[in-house]
Amino acid sequence: MRIILFITLITMVLPLRIFALQLNDSIDYAGFLKMEIRLKNNTDNSHQHLSGLKNTFDIGFDYKLSENWSFFFHPRFFYDFAYDIREQEEFDRTQHYMGHTQRTEWLRDCYLDYNSDNLDIRLGKQQVAWGHMDIPILDKVMPFDLTNWFLPDLADMRIPLWMAKIDYSPKLNSTLQFLIIPDFEASRVAPPGAPFSFSAYNNFYNLTQSLPILVGTVPFNTYLNNIYVDTIFPSKQFENSTFGVRFSSMLGNLEYTLNWLYGFTTSSYLYEEDTVATFVPGAPPHIELSSYNSRRFKRVQMMGLSFAKSFVDPGLLEGITLKGEFAYIHDEPTYYGTSGSRELTEVSDKYNWGIAIEKDVVKNTTLSLQLIQFIVDKDKRVDPTTGTVYKVLDTSTYGVIDKVETSIALKLMTDFMYERVKPEITVIYQEDNQGRIVPKVGVELRDNLWLKIGYAHFYGRPDSSNGQFRNNDQLMMEVKYTF
Amino acid sequence: MRKMLFLFAILSLCGKVLAGELEYYKLYTPQDGMSAEEIMQIKYHNKYSLFAKDYYLPYCEVYYVDASGFTRKKIAKRFRIVKGGEDGISYKDLVVITYPTEIKGLAILTWTYEDPNKSQDVWLWVPSLKKVRKISASEDDDAFMGSDLTVEEVSTRKFEDESYRLIGEENFKGYKFEHTAEIKFEGEPCFVIECVPKQLHWYYAKRIIWVTKSTGGNIFEEYYDKNGKLFKTIFRDWAIYERGIKNYPTQHAVECKDLRTGHRTTVLNLEQEYDKGISEQEFTVKALMRSKW
Repeated sequence: MRIILFITLITMVLPLRIFALQLNDSIDYAGFLKMEIRLKNNTDNSHQHLSGLKNTFDIGFDYKLSENWSFFFHPRFFYDFAYDIREQEEFDRTQHYMGHTQRTEWLRDCYLDYNSDNLDIRLGKQQVAWGHMDIPILDKVMPFDLTNWFLPDLADMRIPLWMAKIDYSPKLNSTLQFLIIPDFEASRVAPPGAPFSFSAYNNFYNLTQSLPILVGTVPFNTYLNNIYVDTIFPSKQFENSTFGVRFSSMLGNLEYTLNWLYGFTTSSYLYEEDTVATFVPGAPPHIELSSYNSRRFKRVQMMGLSFAKSFVDPGLLEGITLKGEFAYIHDEPTYYGTSGSRELTEVSDKYNWGIAIEKDVVKNTTLSLQLIQFIVDKDKRVDPTTGTVYKVLDTSTYGVIDKVETSIALKLMTDFMYERVKPEITVIYQEDNQGRIVPKVGVELRDNLWLKIGYAHFYGRPDSSNGQFRNNDQLMMEVKYTF
Repeated sequence: MRKMLFLFAILSLCGKVLAGELEYYKLYTPQDGMSAEEIMQIKYHNKYSLFAKDYYLPYCEVYYVDASGFTRKKIAKRFRIVKGGEDGISYKDLVVITYPTEIKGLAILTWTYEDPNKSQDVWLWVPSLKKVRKISASEDDDAFMGSDLTVEEVSTRKFEDESYRLIGEENFKGYKFEHTAEIKFEGEPCFVIECVPKQLHWYYAKRIIWVTKSTGGNIFEEYYDKNGKLFKTIFRDWAIYERGIKNYPTQHAVECKDLRTGHRTTVLNLEQEYDKGISEQEFTVKALMRSKW
């Protein structure tokens, strides 16, 4: 009896032990606990000094199923206590949106990987990055989380989507990539009242809070009483998927890609649908207006290319890496109006390009200089009913922008103490004397304990994209424990 | 007797360097009577494992130890494929960091050209961007991954970069490997060679190296500044990795000491393999994009 029991036990436990061993051999995991503190150096934007006390838990599991197949699962959760411990109404109102992980965004990656010599397939929730520049030009496949403007790492800003990514290499160093993205997520922006909410959103929110507004007096007093905005998402049908193709190859050591993307914009655009006037008799009689609007996502097409080349032959250019990219966007919705006031939403073609030069300038120090231009095909529009000429507007501020908007980005990176201390500075300068300067330093305290301290300075006119955050200068600190 | 002599002569020739460049995928061992240049050609041939079609290092531990004993650690994997001059490329190399977690997944792909005047082509998979970046090759005297070793000491120094003088032959005095406190290579027969960089105002004025007769590996190097002061030493634990009919000269460990700061870097290369048949597709930008971290 004892023997039978023993054998039964062995037969039950042994497979489990073997399974556990296999699991140990084939599973790889890593993660971190991170605390971020953000302190603003002024309070004149209705916020107190503490604008962030964010705690993040992140873990990734890579399970190797066989030589060619693997599965990756990567959740992440955060909670920002700053939204709980503060008392200001403006700030607390955004807690439900900014204070914790939203909906399904806790799942950063969840995909099945098949890798072979000529064919790679990745099925599931993932992110894809195109292009070579630090400022996204071709990197338009994924929606972005702009709730902290461009301060986080790009990998954390991209919002992952469920998709199929297929990379086929007919020959060495030449790859054809196909993307089929049935999933849709809109880019996230900070709600009105949050530190990095767009001024256009804040102004619109303030307008809705001050209703009714007297908008006319002839023949009767006319009040704008209601503003309705209905956001219309693309319906969940396969034909509404985003499709992308990228061909990458090399000519000598010149690396290039040709890109095509067809899908919905990741940002929604405001359209007026109708205005209903209601005559209200009484003393005194007046008219009440209700404005019906929609926010819509529109189908656009992007075609582009990118290249990168390091000069490896001896000579003046040796050691320089040259990178560039170009994107033509067909029929992208664009706002037109006067400064601070959007009047029309019309489509226009966009031509965006950038070029970057990178070189090791002195010992262990790399300098990267980038020139970027965003060009809008039609920078003026005539209102068909009034004949008024409207200019193209910045989407986030409704400030008037030029037909050609130029940016220069400079990044300097180095390290000290055997790479324990890594300082870097990013300077973005845009036309009309606006931009941001972000110095940062990362310190490795232990193998598994890292400290990062930085400062973000924004400058420019209040209606410019960076200048709108000129009261948001802040000290950023981050402690990260990894495992 | 004549037949034996003939056979002996043939076998000796196989081990010797023939005039001109060494051939890829062949093993060479230094012999008595060779010039400093011939010995150094073999040393470089072995350093970049040009005797094998490919090289796989699944587990490489790097320890950074400062004068107070404070220690940091990195773990990496390394792959190399020897192209043998095809398309002008000598070899392609891929290093993937697996520890610490903060930089887990960081991968560096380098293509090294046969032309000694050409710089390397370098790509980087940056986990914080989830993107491949084409980057400029580091300067040869930059620190390699924050270690005491420079980039050229690990991956870019070539035979043509220095001039050589054979100082003599001696039995090595032995090296105390700090990581384990073992005495290594005591009494090992070596060639002693002086190497002077051709580049003016370089970070060292000369180095003296000890190359073992058994492996053709440089087990010890002393670096001197322009004042003739010794400022750095590098120890390399070379051994023969026997695999069937082919004996691969292999570096099992490296220890570099900066005598000015008291800092040292120890590299342990574990479970190395050669001629595994690694596909060249592993050394492409597409392969870098497979990274999950």
